[in-house]
Order: sequence, then structure tokens, then C-alpha cells
Amino acid sequence: MTPMPDSDEQLGRRLAAELPRYTAPASLRAAIVQAHQPASSRRPAWLSPLLAAAATAMVLALFMLPVLPRLQPLDPVDQLVRAVVSEHSRALMWGSRQSQVYPAALPWLQQQTGIGLTSVFIGDDRLEFVSAEPVYLLRQRGVAMHYRDLDGHLVTYVALPADGLKVPDRNRVQIDRYRPALVKDSGFVTWVWRQRDVACFLVSDMVSVDDLERFKDYFVRVRTSTEPALAY
Amino acid sequence: MADPEFQRDALQHLNALYNFAMYLTRNPPEAEDLVQETYLRAFRFSHRFQPGTHLRAWLFQILRNTFLTFYRLREREAAVAEDGVPDWDTPMFHDTPLDEGRAMEAHTDLERAMRRLPEEFRTVLLLAEVEGMPLEEVARVMACPVGTVKSRIFRAKERLRGLLKDYEK
Repeated sequence: MTPMPDSDEQLGRRLAAELPRYTAPASLRAAIVQAHQPASSRRPAWLSPLLAAAATAMVLALFMLPVLPRLQPLDPVDQLVRAVVSEHSRALMWGSRQSQVYPAALPWLQQQTGIGLTSVFIGDDRLEFVSAEPVYLLRQRGVAMHYRDLDGHLVTYVALPADGLKVPDRNRVQIDRYRPALVKDSGFVTWVWRQRDVACFLVSDMVSVDDLERFKDYFVRVRTSTEPALAY
Repeated sequence: MADPEFQRDALQHLNALYNFAMYLTRNPPEAEDLVQETYLRAFRFSHRFQPGTHLRAWLFQILRNTFLTFYRLREREAAVAEDGVPDWDTPMFHDTPLDEGRAMEAHTDLERAMRRLPEEFRTVLLLAEVEGMPLEEVARVMACPVGTVKSRIFRAKERLRGLLKDYEK
């Protein structure tokens, strides 16, 4: 039992001397210091090497940029050829969507596509006419006609509005009195030419040298017998 | 971000602040939180500290204000007299029943009596008598005139004496 202090002064002294003092745990000091360290000193150890590597890679990329291969946009002819080849591949795998037997389908095709065919190659002893159908390629309506030769090769003729399309002089091949361009894409070959306001394509997988000679012959057969024109 | 010199100076008062926080919260984890929050605010607003004034008083002021803001809300407040100090028979702070289980046990009658004092009385005694702060600094911490501090010290001791007397019966 502690005796009662008499005066304010005595009580004050007793408070200073007897009241327990609590000491902050070491973990508290550490936590405060840790919480107020600059962000840089709290960075994880792996961050600095990673940043250095990224910076090096960026510098290297900048130096290598001029010699890196560039992805250039396809020119209009290449884009059209790619679309035509895709359409040919689709027909090769799954057949025609709107299979029509010519010439009964001619008015209907013209109505659907805006491309009239004043004369059409309807097949011969080498190429058998398979079907005709409207197509929609690169936001343009057109006509597709499919033929099959004696060896089973599918040959697709596509006519689209030319819309100022210029057939490039590169890859032009002289065949009889015509000079179509030969474009190879995705394992297929395509003859590209213009007839007035219509862009024409003839596609096949006849890429070998021998096949290509025959494909020239098919071109001549189709070209001389087919006359497309914009109907409206 | 406070400069390292300021941080070093401020951390010299860590034990005193923790002791003060212990008597305010009566709970070690809460005292640690309170002190940590105090330093967080002090470092964040170190640019507002006027060099040449007493850093210790400034830190105690932050701690007490933080306590009053966040911890006092959990206490039950009784009626307060016009001067902000409760009357003798109407203590502003009671021992909080909910926290009693987690509270640190008092070691002596003196400590037990201190705990029963209202916060204003406890604080003036701790600052003036235990920490040995001049009355002007205590007044700054408590944001009141020096005369009020003197009055509170007087009344706090009076109350403390009465409580100690009860323990001796």
C-alpha cells in the first residue's frame, strides 16, 4: 500500500517516478522506417535487371529497325487476287453455294451481280462447265464460274467491277494476242486481265511448269469466249 | 516525403509517443497503430512543421488529434461541462467495457487510477508530470490556453487523489 501524497508537488513526483513507462517494440520502429523508405529502395531485386534488359532491347530494336522486314499493305490487284483465291479454295473444298446451270441462270446472275455476260465459255472437250454463282469479294459483287478439266483441276473464272483497277505490267505474259498478268499466291496461280470495266481472274492450282502451259491454253479458251460487261 | 534528418529527429520521440499512446488506448496493438499513423501523418506533412518550434509537442499534438479523431469515437462520451472538462462526478471517459478483455492490465494503483481519469486529465498529467513538458507545450498539444492547462492539472490531481484514496480503503 502506498501512502497518500499530500501535495500536488509530491503527487507529480510520484507520477514521474512510479508510473510505468511503456517502451515501443523494435518491430514498430522497423515498420515505421520501412513504411517511409523511398520507393526506389523498396523496389524488388529483379526489377532493375529487367528494366535494363528492356532498355537494351529497345535500343537494339531502334538500331535494327531500318533492316527489319516491313509489312507493306497489299496493292489492289494483290488484294483482289487473294480474295479470288480464297473464293476458289472455298469452291474447291465445298462446291458452289448457289449452283446454277448456264445459260438458264444468265438473267438471274446479271440481276444479282450487275455484271452481264454477252458471251460465255460454256466448256469444251478439255474443260467441263461445273457451275456459275454470284460472289461478294472485297465489298464488290461479281460472277464466278467454275470449270473442271480432264485431270480434275478446278478452274475458277471471276469477273468483278474494275473500278479503275490497273493490271500491273510486272508479271505480264504474252499469250497469243493477250498479255495477262500471272500472279502466284498461296499455292495457286491466277491470270489477271481487264475487259473494259471488268476485272477478270482465272484461278487454278496448276502451278507446275507443265500445268502452267495447259493453264495458258485454258486462259485463251475462256478469254476468247467470254465477254463480260457492267450491266448497270 | 520527409527528409532523413527530420525522420531521424522525429523517431527520437518514438518511446515517449508510444508510452502516451498506451495510456490513451490501453491496448498495445492499438497503441502501435496510433503511433504508426502519427508518424505517417508527421512525415507526410513535415513541410508544415516550423523549424525552431518544438518537434516533440508537434508530434504529441498529431498523436492526440489522431486518437481523438479515430479512437474517441468508440468511447462513450458523457455530458461535458461548458469549459470542455467533465465535472467531478461525470467522467468524460469510462473504462470501455468492450475493450476491457484486450486491455493491458494495470500494474499499480497509481496506474489504475490514471486509467480512470478522463482523457483531458490523463493527458495533462502525462505530458506535464511524466514527460516534463513546459505548460506552454502542453497547451499547444491540447490546443487550449495555458490557464486551462493549469486548471486541468489541478483538478486532475484532485481527482487522482480521490481515486487513490478509494483504493486504500
